[in-house]
Amino acid sequence: MPLDIQIVRTAGSDQTGVYTVKLTGSLDTLTAPDLEKELTPVMARCGKDLMFDLAGLKFISSAGLRVFSMVRKQLKERGGMASFISLQPQITEVFAIIKALPGVGMFTSEAEFDSYIAARQRIVQNGQNGQV
Amino acid sequence: MKLELKGTPGEVMRAVESLQEFGEAKAIPAGILFGLTLALEECASNIVNHALQRDPAQTFEVTLEHTGEAISIELRDSGIAFDPTLAPPGDGVADDEEEPGGWGIFLVRKYTDNLIYSREGGRNVLRLMKSLPLPA
Repeated sequence: MPLDIQIVRTAGSDQTGVYTVKLTGSLDTLTAPDLEKELTPVMARCGKDLMFDLAGLKFISSAGLRVFSMVRKQLKERGGMASFISLQPQITEVFAIIKALPGVGMFTSEAEFDSYIAARQRIVQNGQNGQV
Repeated sequence: MKLELKGTPGEVMRAVESLQEFGEAKAIPAGILFGLTLALEECASNIVNHALQRDPAQTFEVTLEHTGEAISIELRDSGIAFDPTLAPPGDGVADDEEEPGGWGIFLVRKYTDNLIYSREGGRNVLRLMKSLPLPA
């Protein structure tokens, strides 16, 4: 089963925007290098946050988990976070088995993720204005 | 079902797809089949990436068996002796301090009932066993 990768900017500017990576198919030993390659330019311009829409992801192995781990680590160093929405039950189970859930954002929908980002941006803006 | 496969990631996924078709034909429950395909992907990837060094001239074998009560997956390769069952159990925690290389064997253990290694005729033989629920 191949992996289809769609990357769209969902908010912000081209250089510091919030990007969504939509994965469909299988993230495995054959396709994980493709995702890593596609993410390299995105990681250079995505700012602090990156969202993965996994609604169409049917299969994942440790090769795919390693790519998510790399992204999570880089975003954490920037004070941001990798987020995941719409996981199928078998993918949620794999995440749970390796205890990948702590430290990443898990959202049920893109709207929920957008609310989170908006709330965080308000906190940053309030901080810059001297508000708490 | 017996498969002879080349030492490439593409051949790993050919084995995975064969197991999916085999399992669907035998009406293996979807959750169990997902776990077994993941276990096969991890073990076969380990063989291809480490024992065979991704050399397409090298081959390994995968044999699938279904007894009605259980399903077994046997992998044979002619790489240097390597017993994955000796890997430390680990807790699989994906914290930033841990190298994620140990996740594969951790997932294999979670999704199978038995993992048996032997060295036979100069080849690594790894058997994955999974019991199946009794028919209703």
